[in-house]
This record gives sequence, structure tokens and C-alpha cells, in this order.
Amino acid sequence: MIYSLLKKDFQMLISGKFFLVALGSLVLYTLFIHFGYIHYMHAELYHVYLYDPQGTQGETSDLACPVASQEELDAALSGDTNGVGIDASSGVPEIFFYFGSEKTDNHRADYALSLLQWQKDYKAQVVGSNTPELKQRKEMCCELLFIEIIAVGFLGIASVLFKEKQMGVIRVHAVLPCPKSLFIVSKILLFLLSDLVFAALMVVLNIGFPDAVVILPAVLTQTAILSLIMSLTGFGCTMMLKDFRQFSLAYLVIAIFVAAPVFLSANTSVKMAWINWHPFYHVYMGLKNACFGTPAANPVYYICSVCGIAALFLIVRAAFHREMKKEG
Amino acid sequence: MRGLFYQLKSVWKDKFCIMSFLLPIVAAVVLRMIGGIDLSSVTEFHFGVLENDLSARTVSWLERYGSVTPYETPEELAAAVNEPSTYMIGVRADGENIRTVVSGDELEIFRQTADTLPALYEGRESAKQFKVTVLGRPDLMDGFQNIFIAITLIVAMFMGCTFNAMNMIAEKENGVELVNQILPMTQGGYVMQKIFVGFIGGCLSAALTACCYFRLSVRRAFLMMTLIVLSAFVAALVGLFVGKFSESLMVGVVYIKIIMIVFMAVPLVSYLAGAGGLAAVICYLVPSCAAFEGIMSLAACGEMVIAKDLAILVAHGVGWFALYLSISKWRRSLSGRAGNRR
Repeated sequence: MIYSLLKKDFQMLISGKFFLVALGSLVLYTLFIHFGYIHYMHAELYHVYLYDPQGTQGETSDLACPVASQEELDAALSGDTNGVGIDASSGVPEIFFYFGSEKTDNHRADYALSLLQWQKDYKAQVVGSNTPELKQRKEMCCELLFIEIIAVGFLGIASVLFKEKQMGVIRVHAVLPCPKSLFIVSKILLFLLSDLVFAALMVVLNIGFPDAVVILPAVLTQTAILSLIMSLTGFGCTMMLKDFRQFSLAYLVIAIFVAAPVFLSANTSVKMAWINWHPFYHVYMGLKNACFGTPAANPVYYICSVCGIAALFLIVRAAFHREMKKEG
Repeated sequence: MRGLFYQLKSVWKDKFCIMSFLLPIVAAVVLRMIGGIDLSSVTEFHFGVLENDLSARTVSWLERYGSVTPYETPEELAAAVNEPSTYMIGVRADGENIRTVVSGDELEIFRQTADTLPALYEGRESAKQFKVTVLGRPDLMDGFQNIFIAITLIVAMFMGCTFNAMNMIAEKENGVELVNQILPMTQGGYVMQKIFVGFIGGCLSAALTACCYFRLSVRRAFLMMTLIVLSAFVAALVGLFVGKFSESLMVGVVYIKIIMIVFMAVPLVSYLAGAGGLAAVICYLVPSCAAFEGIMSLAACGEMVIAKDLAILVAHGVGWFALYLSISKWRRSLSGRAGNRR
């Protein structure tokens, strides 16, 4: 019975062009990471412009760019407002720069002055194993994977279910002599498999096979948690909402209020006090830690995830039974 | 007039449209209430130190440059340095001097800072003797704070397309479109009614969103209203296209989503990347770019330069309207020819 249901759902996904959309997304994300993101993300320390016509400062660092006149110094700073200007024409260096923020400005001034002296060739100790490019690949891969599962997976299950609702499949299923939960299980299983394949391809294509093999088991575990949560939520919303239009709105709310604060807190140093109460923050961090090979989250996270998925399943089952009764 | 009343009544009954209308207003109220999110930490450096390792004076010196977080063990410090969401620089005592620890995957700016930090520490006393002049410039973070409300306003302005697009698609699905064809109504009248629905929805939603967040002077408020009116008109035209070319509700929703993502992402990326030259011209092909630029300019305290943005929006309005009319004309002539052949 489960085989027949799986086959039917698989055919529904093919006819709904779900796999085509997923493949298109995979190609688009891969092209973006390979040819866009990793070439775009660069940030260097501020440029320092030195005006020292008499050469009063002796040997200075190569990082200080000499300028020939006061006007050239002003022009350089106007064009590069993060830069720092040093006017040493009077013999005593004077530092000029445009306001940034209090703490950054302290560093800019001290850094510029440090370039007036000869510097030892010091290199900071490296304790990580990723290169900047690998980090960018992992970071973007994780973000896009998260977006794909909460967006396409969520919408995908809704589009299939609403079609089935219209076709009267739920009404037919109500009179079939098989466990009612199988209808839910077959769909969730199919979306889970599809998300796992998508995640594996995404990681291998964008992080590279040797690095991907090491992190793949952890990434697939986190993908499975996210996929189950999203497909069950999508299933539940579909049962409770009247049509795809209302569902689409629920999706909009989820996309804005789930993704925006999570991305802000998880990818930058901005930490909002309440973010620890946001369940998707922990799921996203689980996925991110898996992508970066960081030791897995504590057992409480896994216990909460399993309990959450079980609770969602029970809610969805109740909603499905109610829907079957409604359909007669 | 009665037709317009029926259009508005139909939109009013649609929960999707009402929620689309209210969503940006709620977001503006929330942004106003929390006073924006504190982004000041993004521009600061973050240092991790070991407890009882550095002297209190050294820690104070580090705090001049950024935040300092103490860790109990070297392992915890290494884990914090390796944490991918921050660019933390580990600082440890090295005799009289300090040494730095990085993860190796950070951006160039943080690696260079870590490489030069011990030299800065050595020269900390001599650095105090020199004169530093800070030239005035508005706080960089003000601009970033405005991004949130600018994007919310873009959503409000261009959500207008949802109202008429959904209205048209619902008419197609319910068979009202077929009834319309036999009603004594001109094509022009139909188009005007549909534009009106999207335009009024977008205008009202964006105006209320702006009122909830901004406290603008009369001149700025007038310019903001002009910006909203022009953007809502373009949005209504976009909705007209979506409504015309969507065969089903699901396709329409997908089109609207793609349009909203493009309308939000292009101005944001263009602003953050500081696009110039040909790239900026290409970005202006997306109407929300000019609207975003105009809002940012009005929200900033400095000089307002939005004439160019208004001109671009007018050009979009004229261009899209002309395109819609020519496509409709071309389709009518095609169907006329097909009818003659039959």
C-alpha cells in the first residue's frame, strides 16, 4: 500500500514540476556560488594616504600610499571615505579621516600611525582549517539550503496537497481500507528523500567532494530535521487553510518572520536577546555547524527536535482526520 | 464609478489582499517600536581573551577598538575564534607584548587587523602624542538602519500589484472574465478599473506605512508622497501584466513572489555593493531601484536628490503602460485574424 501511495505522490510531484523547480534552483544556486558570491565578498583594511613632501618620516611601511600634494590627499579621502590621511608636511604627522564609528576611528588612527614605522613581519596564529573561499562556499551553501527547504519544500507540499484536495483524493482516501496515517507518511517521506538528495548535491557541487564527504552525514541529519519540520508544517497549514492563496500568505509570514531574524543573528555579530527562543535559529545553527564541521549541538536540541516533530505529526494527523470527516 | 466600487468590494473580501495590505504597516509599527535593530556591533572588532591572561590595562586598550569577550580555557577561545558567524580575533599575552589568533577563513580586513595588532600595542604610548582630526560625516549605521524601513516601504508600494493581479486571476477562475466580454464595457475602461484597484491599494498601504515610521518635514513628506504615487502606479501596471499572463492562481502567486524578490533584492544589492556605471543603469531597469534610492535619500538627514529617481519612475510608468497597450492591441489583432479565418 505504501508503495502505491509513494508512486502516486512521486507522479504528482513530477506532474507538478516540483523536481524541475528543485533542479532549476540547484543550478541557479550553484552558478551563483561559483561565479558570483565568492568573487564578490572581499574587504580590505583601510587605505592610508601619506603626504610627506620632505620625506621627514624616513622608512615607512609599503602599505602607506604616498600622495604628491595636499589636494591629492583631500581628493583621495573624498573618494575613499574609509581611508586615513596623514599630513606630515610640517614634520609632525597629523591624521585626518571621515567619521566612521568611535571604536573603528580609534583603530584607524592608531593603524595609520603604526605604518609610519618599520614593521616586523608578524603573522597571527591560525587555528582553523577553512580557507576564506571555503568558508564563503560553506556559508552560502548553508543559507541557500535553508531557504530552499523552507521555501520550495513548504510550497511544494502545499501545491501537491491543494491539487489533491481539489481532485477529491482525500475523500477517496477516507474510504480506502488502509491506515489513514500512511497518506501523511508517504508524502513526508518523499519530501524528505527529495530534500536529502538536494542537500547532498548542493554540498558536493558547491563545497567540493573531499570536503563534502566529511560533513555530509551531519548535514543530512540536520537537513532531515528541517525537512520534516517544514513538510509537516506545510501539510498542517494546507489542512487548516481554505485555498492556496491563504496558504501563500502563511508562507509569506513564515518567510519574513522566520528567515530574517535568524539570518541576521546567525550570520552577523548582531545578537538579539530573544533569538534563543526562536526555534528555527537552533535548526539553522545546527545546519550551519554541520556545514562547518563544528561539534554537534547538545542533546537537548535533538530531544526538542524529535518531540517537536512528533507533536507536529500528531497535530497534522488530527487535522487530516478532521479534513476527511469534512469531506465526508 | 459603480465598476470601481465593485472592484474594491471584491478586493476587500479577499483575505490575501487585506493581509498583504496590512503586513508592511505592521512591520513599520514594529520597526518604530523597537527603534530599529542595533547594528553598531557589525562595524566593531570583536576580541576574545583568556581570563587572567591579559592585564586590565591591555583589556581597556583593546576595548578602545571593539568588544572584548573573556573565555575560561584556550579551547573555548579557539572555538569562539572559529565560530563562523563572527570574525573574532583571539588575543593572548606574549611576555610584554601580545599575540593574536585567527581562524584563517576570515575576510582580509580581519586578518590584516590581527597581523598588525601587536605593532599597534607596542606603539600605543607614542600614538597618543599625535593630533587626530575627524572630519564630519553622518553616522554610517544610520543608512543601514534605514534599509529596513526602505525595504518595508518597497514591499508596501509594490504589493499594489497583488491586488489587481489577484482580482484578475480570480475573475478568470470564476468565469467572470467571460461575462466581462459580453458586458458593454470598453477595454480601456476595464484596464483603468484594474489599474485603479492596484494603485489605490499600493498607495494607501505605502502611505500608512510611511506615516507609521517617519516624522518628515512638509517638503519631504510631499516628495515621499510623490514617490509613493509613482511607484504604486508602476506596481499597478506590473499587476496588470501578472493578471493578464497568469493562467491560474498558483502561477500568479509564483509570478508575484519572483517579482517581489527581484524588486527587493536588486536595489538592496545595488545599494550595498555601491553599483555604478553600466551596472547602475541595468539596476534602474527594475523600478524599485529608483524608489529605494529615493526613500533612502529622503530618510537620510542630508541633501535630498530625488529628481532623477522620480524621472526614472515616470519613465517606467509610461514605458510599461505603452507596452501593455501595444501587447493588448497585438493580441486583439491576432485573435481578430484567427476569427476571420474561421
